[in-house]
Amino acid sequence: MTASLSRTVLLALLALGGAAHAQYTGPKVTLTYLHGFTGADRPVMERLIQQFNATHPNIQVRAQAQPWGTTWQQLPALVASGRAPDVVVINEDQITNFIARGAVSPLTDAELKAAGINKARFYGPLFKTADYEGRSYGVPISSVAYVTFYNKDLMKKMGITKVPTTRAELLAAARACTTDKNGRKPGQAGFDPKNLDTWGISLYNNWVGSRLAYAAILQNGGSLVDKTLNASFNSPQAVEAVQFLVDLVQKHGVARPNSTEEAELAAFSQGKVCFFPSGQWYLDRFEGQKMNFGVAFVPRIGSKQDAAWGGSSHLTLPRQRPGYDANKRRAALEFINWMTQPAQNLTWTEAGSLPTMPAVANDKKFEGRPISGVFEKLGSIYATSGFPWSGQVLGPFDNAWANAYSGKMSVKAALDAGVSEANKQIQQARKTFQ
Amino acid sequence: MSLSLPRAAAPRRRSTRPPLVPYLYLLPFALLFLVFVVYPVGYGFYVSLHRWDLLAETRPFVGLEYYRNLFDPSTPQAQFFWNSMRNTALFTLVSVPLLIGTALGLALLLYRPIFGRAFFRAVFFLPGILTVSVMGILWRWMFDNQIGLVNAVRTDLLDLPPVPFLSTEGLAWLPIVVGTVWWTVGFNMTLYLAALGNISQSYYEAAEIDGATSWAKFRFITWPLLGPVTLFVFVTTVLASFQLFGQTLVITAGGPNRTTQSAIQYITEEAFSNNQFSSAAAMSFVFGLVMLIFTFLQFRIMAKDARGES
Repeated sequence: MTASLSRTVLLALLALGGAAHAQYTGPKVTLTYLHGFTGADRPVMERLIQQFNATHPNIQVRAQAQPWGTTWQQLPALVASGRAPDVVVINEDQITNFIARGAVSPLTDAELKAAGINKARFYGPLFKTADYEGRSYGVPISSVAYVTFYNKDLMKKMGITKVPTTRAELLAAARACTTDKNGRKPGQAGFDPKNLDTWGISLYNNWVGSRLAYAAILQNGGSLVDKTLNASFNSPQAVEAVQFLVDLVQKHGVARPNSTEEAELAAFSQGKVCFFPSGQWYLDRFEGQKMNFGVAFVPRIGSKQDAAWGGSSHLTLPRQRPGYDANKRRAALEFINWMTQPAQNLTWTEAGSLPTMPAVANDKKFEGRPISGVFEKLGSIYATSGFPWSGQVLGPFDNAWANAYSGKMSVKAALDAGVSEANKQIQQARKTFQ
Repeated sequence: MSLSLPRAAAPRRRSTRPPLVPYLYLLPFALLFLVFVVYPVGYGFYVSLHRWDLLAETRPFVGLEYYRNLFDPSTPQAQFFWNSMRNTALFTLVSVPLLIGTALGLALLLYRPIFGRAFFRAVFFLPGILTVSVMGILWRWMFDNQIGLVNAVRTDLLDLPPVPFLSTEGLAWLPIVVGTVWWTVGFNMTLYLAALGNISQSYYEAAEIDGATSWAKFRFITWPLLGPVTLFVFVTTVLASFQLFGQTLVITAGGPNRTTQSAIQYITEEAFSNNQFSSAAAMSFVFGLVMLIFTFLQFRIMAKDARGES
């Protein structure tokens, strides 16, 4: 076989394998890479970078890990002074703001194609997290999500055989789980919802607690912002969804009033509550406690679609000074493609992330693990992104949830007040973006 | 006490040139002061007068717009900034007397040669070495609505209903104030202990011969002689209380309904969560001005005291 023939065969094989993109062949470049994976995820990231450098002799990635907050404060100055790193990881709550302010550059379809990055290999809403006004700005590398932890032992004791997936099932199961200190059930005469011994579901007053309200609103066909990106979380769909959650406390007595995340976490660990909705990041903790628990997708509280909140991190290319080396950009795209391949993403799940693509979720490694209970619906996880003023929207939204949940205000009044505050602030923020 | 410096030899020849050496000694500090204080403050003022974003292509001059916002009741800034200023003032008003009174009380108790004195001094001083996040989480847990020690005592020992401290307006201040006193009282106590050590025993011996009661001894000897240190403690504690930030952030996150949000916390939110840097800069200057007025008033009192007019 001649050399040229063997090369053709090799190329054909690569094409069949789906990796038919032009590998970076330019001169040797060094890329700076800024990321905020500074915790237990740091060694995993460093291992991946080492692997990349070892397999890409003409691209050297020099990574710098620093706390996320530092990055958000430094990035504008770095970009403005023309000293931006070549690749930066930006999280879902910050990304649209940086896009709208022009800190990151769009990834064109041609570029993505040339680098071999196929949008379709990721979960749709996850990839769209870094989209703005019809263009893509980042590729997802890491993902966390809101899930429902459930206590198998308590459910069994209360005679619940099925993990609830609908509003009616959730309410029925939550009622079955609830008993007051005198042993009475909801609906029985003398039932005291203020002194619960066990209860159905954990609701609580902080921002994590408010993400369940976000899921419920999305499930009902509502949203945080409307098409003009003004706050809209007081739509009839939103009010209806949040009202159901507040009713779990006020009407049905199957959740505790005025509770905190710590208190509910402790209660769930002690087997006092059946369903604990929260971030999947508590997985390690429950596994470490040897609890008999499962993980399910957030039950369908709304009438339109499945949905849960998710957070994510995206590899982005910051805006560079004029005359920036085009080879570096090509090499950076190659790095992004490699880092977000199924093999690397599978490694990355060791750091506590959820799979970013179905190809990884289907891996045998996850069979029988509690977390795989949500994998089927990973495509229904939505970040709070797409609008540049996340602070102006989420602050008032979280406050509105706290006011509604604590019963300080009616649901409608709390959401109306939140929207009014958010829109006043958005009106000011718009001036900055002109 | 008077400090007497060795008298410098009289100059042989009067020089008309100002001496250079003192200025050379001052130069390093002056440079640092210019670079890290004067320049940033000036730049911050520039920012507050423009619609400023590092990434924006234009940064138009808007004059006093962001200052006017603070006095226009229809803006969120006016509402939340003055709310946070009121919260901060309230905290200062409540915590300063506690921090001074408790410190003085503890110092008086621990100044006497009681058993375990060193141990107790350490017990009251040690919380001060904790970081604000450790202290905050500790007191958040103590006052948790459901699992806190305070509520556990109420429900399990006293058979009272639990109180949702962290989510009740007004009550949410309790863990913040109690936590802050526990956390910082040791420092003031140490200052008082040192001051007590400087009071000559002869005053008390003379008072005892005159048949003075304990209260009279405190009222006419201890308290007046602690005057200068009380002023010092007062000024530093007021300034520290105005800078309230970490405790409310960790314990209540400013809630419920922003009723425990401190001024610095709101300024941080406006700058780094809302990305309204000019607005935050304007607030910082107004906040700084209020602090300056307070400090000025305190210096006036201190100066009076130094002249013996108080």
